[in-house]
Amino acid sequence: MTGTARIYFDNAATTPLDPRVRAAMHPYLDGAFGNPSSLHYDGRAARDAVEQARVSTAALCGAKASEVVFTAGGTEADNLAILGVVRAFRGQSVHVITSSIEHPAVREVCRELAAEGVAVTFLRVGTSGIIEPDELAQAIRPKTRIVSVMAANNIVGTLQPVRELARIARGQGVLFHTDAVQAAGRIPLDIHRDGIDLLSISGHKLYGPKGVGALIVREGVTLSPLVFGGGQEGGLRSGTENVAAIVGLGEAARISIESRGEETARLVRLRERVIDGVLAQNLDAYLIGDRYRRLPGHVCLAFAGLEGESIKLLLALDEAGVSVSTGSACSTNKAGEPSYVLMAMGMDAFRSRGSLRITLGRFNTEEDVERFLDLLPRVVGELSPITSRGRAKTGACA
Amino acid sequence: MTTKETALPGLDCGLCGFRKCGEFAAHLAQSPELLDRCIHLRDPEQSAIAVGADVAQAPVGTNARDVATAGGDGRARLKGKRESVSLPMYSESNWHDSLGREFDFYLEHFPEEPGPREAILPHNPIITREMDIKPGDILIGRPLGMSCGCPITHCGVAMDVDWRTGVINWCVTGPLRGRQSGFKDLGYYIAEAYEGLIRLARSEIRIGMRYFFQPRMCMLQWRHSGLVNYLNRTKDGLQVRVEGLWIG
Repeated sequence: MTGTARIYFDNAATTPLDPRVRAAMHPYLDGAFGNPSSLHYDGRAARDAVEQARVSTAALCGAKASEVVFTAGGTEADNLAILGVVRAFRGQSVHVITSSIEHPAVREVCRELAAEGVAVTFLRVGTSGIIEPDELAQAIRPKTRIVSVMAANNIVGTLQPVRELARIARGQGVLFHTDAVQAAGRIPLDIHRDGIDLLSISGHKLYGPKGVGALIVREGVTLSPLVFGGGQEGGLRSGTENVAAIVGLGEAARISIESRGEETARLVRLRERVIDGVLAQNLDAYLIGDRYRRLPGHVCLAFAGLEGESIKLLLALDEAGVSVSTGSACSTNKAGEPSYVLMAMGMDAFRSRGSLRITLGRFNTEEDVERFLDLLPRVVGELSPITSRGRAKTGACA
Repeated sequence: MTTKETALPGLDCGLCGFRKCGEFAAHLAQSPELLDRCIHLRDPEQSAIAVGADVAQAPVGTNARDVATAGGDGRARLKGKRESVSLPMYSESNWHDSLGREFDFYLEHFPEEPGPREAILPHNPIITREMDIKPGDILIGRPLGMSCGCPITHCGVAMDVDWRTGVINWCVTGPLRGRQSGFKDLGYYIAEAYEGLIRLARSEIRIGMRYFFQPRMCMLQWRHSGLVNYLNRTKDGLQVRVEGLWIG
């Protein structure tokens, strides 16, 4: 790979820092170093920056600034939402409902709670990875305190019927949390309109910095903190604020809001070009998940007969200059295991290893897509399909 | 404002590929089929139906359970769009080979090919290169030893050849064609895999399971056994690959 710029198609794993975000953060990395809790000028300047970022972050999901709790990322926000609710009911019998396709930041929390004796229900999903609202309605018990269902799946890109699920939960007096790490800034979210009580956001999925996120806590919801100390963030997340990163998150949120409708439409058009282009290439490709009920730039597909070659495909694309993923970057150390998300969608262990995740983002162009479509047949053609049927009779292989 | 625009959610979310609901509505007037793109108008139950771009090529996907359980849950989800896909039939056929042994499915060859497709490896793989074996060559040889114990010399036509490993994919065609066209003698070979179609089965077929099966063209009508490691629903039938072959 020489001379040609790489193509980054792994925006679900992380996004590049937007230059405007970097510019907004810069003063707080170099000069404006105050502690937002200090009363003097330097402290007040930092406090102002944090509060401005809080307003922008809140606007991302129709919240009030006072409903934003900054955290050190999406995982911490998810932990705070679920554990915070369960701990608030300390001493009482609690039931938690989540789905079987959640990100590990939710799934592992729920598994830990189950190990501690908390009753947890993992909702099944259909073959497109979508939860049937009736499934949730039937799972709610008198002791159910929280339902946590992601707004969009990080592997398949499927969008959940969040508003309907939230309506069912709140109708039964149960809190509704959604991990919106993939969805925020990409689809319209409004916690008050949609009936969401708790919502998690991550900075680095929004062209912001890593190490910062937020939990939106609707007014009136009571949580127990997980981190104790100086009582920052309304007592829910002690520790001196990461000012530069919070400013970055705020700026990233502002940019996302500003460009959302247009950018979403652009990414949908690029996504559809990728899907149509790949499916037209006679590579026996198939799309995983619903065609349209998915994140704007998110494609999850596999090649029939090449499911066992997905790691090789990823490495071959990498060599050709394209960064994609076979699944969640968060579980690269488990790359040899079948995806529990795809297994939950009814795929067998073999096919559940075989997905290719192509996630487009703000800095991808039509040219990137066309280059990818040009090189894909060659890369796929060099792999060894499990079936020999239909293989081109190109002569002996030297 | 049109009726359709009135029905759209007005979120201007862009998820349909248009920036504004109004723009979408204008295109809907020309192409009503685009309505599927508005996820806000869709019934969640409908969205739960698996969508494959080319249904005939779509894999078993939700696993062999979907395909092999006639009239079961999988069939219900596949109604409509997948009617053109040929699924295995379940029959009370006589599921016994010529020696009275039971088997689970018949293995048929692909309709576009001259005979059953096999992946074979000469006992000395280097002869694939030394004999300059190429697609179209007529080959003869006998499956020896590990797989699959057949006492009959086979004849077939090479479909594709891998000189790195010596593996040859061929279609068994019977001896007459070999004599007419000239041939290359492999001596002994190992039959590594069979590929073909299942159109008739008596039980559920799943990846990772070992089955007894009856190759439709087997001259002795002896059952074989092997591990299924590939299944794909096609318009011709359930495509299967079987490895780890034995007779009996």
